[in-house]
Amino acid sequence: MNAIIRVKGISKVYQMGEVRVEALKEVSFEINQGEFIVVLGPSGSGKSTMMNLIGGMDTVSSGEVYYKGQPLHQATEKVLTEYRRHAVGFVFQFYNLMPNLTAYENVQMAVQIAKDPLNVKEVLAQVGLADRADHFPAQLSGGQQQRVAVARAIAKNPDLLLCDEPTGALDFATGVQMLKLLKEFSVQYKKTVMIITHNAGIAEMADRVFYMKDGRLENITVHPHPVPPEEVVW
Amino acid sequence: MLWRKMWRDMAENKIAYIACTIVIAIGLMTYTSMSMSKDHLFAAKDEFYRHYHFADGFAKVKAMPLSKAKAIKDMEGVDRVNGRLVKEVRVLIPSSDSEDVYLRLISFDETLPHRLNDVELLQGSFPQKNSRQILLADKFLKAHSLGLSDQIDVVIDGKQVGLTVSGSGQSPEYVYALKEAQAIAPDPRTFEVAYLPYEDMEMLFGQKQMVNDVVFTLKPGVKFADVEAKLKSTLKPYQLEALYGANDQLSNAMLSEELKQLEKMAKSMPILFLGVAAIILYIMLKRLVESQRGQIGTLKAFGYRNVEIILHYLSYGLLIGLVGGILGGVLGTALSGLMIDLYQSYFSLPNLAAGFSPEYFLYSLIISTLCSLFASYQGVKGVLGLQPAEAMRPPIPVFTKKNMLENLPGFWQIFTMQGRMALRNATRNKGRSFFTFIGIVFTFSMMACFFSIGNMASEMIMDQFTQVQKQDVKLSFSAPLPRRQAVRELQHVQGVHRVEPMVEVPVSLQFLNHQEDVVALGISNNANLYQVFDKQGERVQIPRTGLMLSVQVAEQLQVKAGDVLEMDSIWAKEKMKVKVERIVPQYIGANVYMNQDTLLGLLKQGDLATSVLLTIDSKQLVPFKDQYSTSKFVGNLEIRQEMIEKYEQLLASSTYTLWIMGVISVITGFAIVYNSSIISLAERKRELASLRVMGMTPREVMEIISVEQWFLGFFGILAGIPIALTMNQVLAKGMSSDLYTLPGTISPEAILQAVLGTIFAIWISQQWVSRKVQKLDLVEVLKERE
Repeated sequence: MNAIIRVKGISKVYQMGEVRVEALKEVSFEINQGEFIVVLGPSGSGKSTMMNLIGGMDTVSSGEVYYKGQPLHQATEKVLTEYRRHAVGFVFQFYNLMPNLTAYENVQMAVQIAKDPLNVKEVLAQVGLADRADHFPAQLSGGQQQRVAVARAIAKNPDLLLCDEPTGALDFATGVQMLKLLKEFSVQYKKTVMIITHNAGIAEMADRVFYMKDGRLENITVHPHPVPPEEVVW
Repeated sequence: MLWRKMWRDMAENKIAYIACTIVIAIGLMTYTSMSMSKDHLFAAKDEFYRHYHFADGFAKVKAMPLSKAKAIKDMEGVDRVNGRLVKEVRVLIPSSDSEDVYLRLISFDETLPHRLNDVELLQGSFPQKNSRQILLADKFLKAHSLGLSDQIDVVIDGKQVGLTVSGSGQSPEYVYALKEAQAIAPDPRTFEVAYLPYEDMEMLFGQKQMVNDVVFTLKPGVKFADVEAKLKSTLKPYQLEALYGANDQLSNAMLSEELKQLEKMAKSMPILFLGVAAIILYIMLKRLVESQRGQIGTLKAFGYRNVEIILHYLSYGLLIGLVGGILGGVLGTALSGLMIDLYQSYFSLPNLAAGFSPEYFLYSLIISTLCSLFASYQGVKGVLGLQPAEAMRPPIPVFTKKNMLENLPGFWQIFTMQGRMALRNATRNKGRSFFTFIGIVFTFSMMACFFSIGNMASEMIMDQFTQVQKQDVKLSFSAPLPRRQAVRELQHVQGVHRVEPMVEVPVSLQFLNHQEDVVALGISNNANLYQVFDKQGERVQIPRTGLMLSVQVAEQLQVKAGDVLEMDSIWAKEKMKVKVERIVPQYIGANVYMNQDTLLGLLKQGDLATSVLLTIDSKQLVPFKDQYSTSKFVGNLEIRQEMIEKYEQLLASSTYTLWIMGVISVITGFAIVYNSSIISLAERKRELASLRVMGMTPREVMEIISVEQWFLGFFGILAGIPIALTMNQVLAKGMSSDLYTLPGTISPEAILQAVLGTIFAIWISQQWVSRKVQKLDLVEVLKERE
């Protein structure tokens, strides 16, 4: 398997007035194509910072990040936009759907900027929202909204799907459904999925689990036989 | 602590608040500058009129004995009377060989203690008796760089006479020195007045103990109309040429008209700008309050009272109002200085000076503060009803319906997703869309009007000199001449192609209780050099019998075609009845037209002409002018090309003002569009940031905001067209006077210019907003959950 993401000794320092906050300290790892990764850690451990750096939403203070050999740590905003546009899909904890676009249109919007997108209708059917395609977010439940968000992310057909607490705002049953969707995507299209959570239960379904603490990557656990999402409990 | 919060809130959106402050400042700048200028002009005028005894009545006769003129003093209601000799002469000035220069010589009686329309001495001294000295209008002296003791040569009865300049001065009678009502602006290079002792005048013109001009004041409480009829009959034997009160005195009428307009503008312009500023402020603060629901809830939870919270938000408006008011006051004071300078170049009021009026400064502060406070109160009063817990929850989104546009087959498909978001936003956020829409309508129609004023004025002039008056030269006689003889002589002059006689007679028209003094133009049969057109630009034939009235005259008299008027003229022996045949538009001047033979027949004065129009080879123009301009039969020689050039110069200077107004409209448009974009941006920060995270470029994200504005802009411009047309008509009507009428039309060019200006205003504001979109902090925005 090829490394899709290579991270070498990255640090992120925020200068907040007179206070220097080291959000991420000397983190290194590699992620392979098709891997399902869960990042665990308490609040403030640097999970989100790490995801932002991998996702091209922010730049490192030091260290190197490569996507398929292409350096991201010194890329311009324009290059980062291109990267996010074609290589990355995001799923946010609070969905971040466009309130004035229907479910279908929300997905369509992502598709229209992608190079090799999936079929919008098929993706919506896959997330079980074929009959809700014409609804606005305000007319959908939280779980349905999150499914639209997932559909929006995967319809772009990105190499890398980054999910920040995708189940955080959902009840258990809906959360499991969500994880199933993400797993399916990973398996079916051989895509890399990275989930950030502080919910240890989810970790069981990952190929590898990254444990973050205090801005450092403390430990990586490998699961040769990950648990299917249906069996995950929390 | 709350003050600090306010500063930071404002700093975050400084451009928006600055734009709003600028709009307020512009409004108050127009208010203070116009009001201050108006006050100073009024004060200078009143003081000048009073101090130098501006007359209440004016009469011109062919000639009358001085003693008879003085006897008018005994008439009931008349207070003081001055008889004068007033004669127009051509001045031979070597430096200005291409244009004719005229001076109106006015006699003064140095023995009188309180001369009417007296002269304020500005340089040198009054002329000595019998020494051929002359006192020039100050502007004339300056325009020709003359000095004291310099000599100027004038032509009197065909003879060259040298006069020595003894000094310069200014009289209230010629504050706005126009040669005739047809002139649009004073031109001190070519026309001014000068003063000579009566003794010198009577000798130079051979009019011993005679006068041709009478000015008088009235006893307190007496009106001009009270003495008019009596004076008319008293003066009629001396061939009365004109009799009018101070209201109709040309200089005074122009000055009063200008002041009236200034006063009107000083009242209406600020309302426009303050209204816009109030709306901007209202929308901005309403938005601010909505976006700070959580904070308001927190404050309430702490135990802050409603009053305290409201006061906090009102202080935003207060600050903007105060800053805008002060800025407007300061700028207005500065601008009033410039305006006074400008007025001084047209109106010769010796004591006119710019100054500071604390009262308007104070008013502007009060107005802007109240206006801002009102707008902010309207914006924030919603806070009152909120419960702390409710306030801390975000308002419920209400996007659940599609709009009508989406049902138009094919329409919806042409838009990208960003475009659809934009259109949904525009149709759902009705209040703000309406505000932007109104702003664009306002920007567009203001620009269209400003641009069209320039076009209207040039249309007015081009119409007059390319369509109506086609002659190369107009020769006005100093006294009426036998018609056939004059035409015959001029036809034989080398280079002359066509000669058409004109009869111009001052008449007084009466219909019911409306009366109007105008000049009747007797147009010859088959006239080619003077033509009259209707509204559609079709040539109109002068009817064989009856009168043709210009629109202004018809409006004054409230007559329509078919009505019969009573016409009186100093030329006629008795009053005549004439029928109104037709009403036609006229841009420069306000006349009535009649067939020449018919008019002469009515007047029973024989076969006379007062002037001729002629066409001539351009090569022969200069010799012709040399030959005739000094002739004693010629009162005035007017060359069309020179007139056009003069008007064009005048227009060039007003273009500058129009550009300033255009820029102001663009700024206002910018402020409005920018503000509504900023609000859109703030409300949808999260959405837009999500899009950026998904890999959209700032440009693509910006599309959501820009499509919404182009959409509103498109309809704003469409709706602006009829509004601009209406505004323009009102404006044209307001600016028109007896002397000229602006055609209330907007040319396609003005519309196009305004469209470009509006597009520019929208575009420039989007450039600013687009910078904000680029600077969106993706990480920050996505972290927070409002």
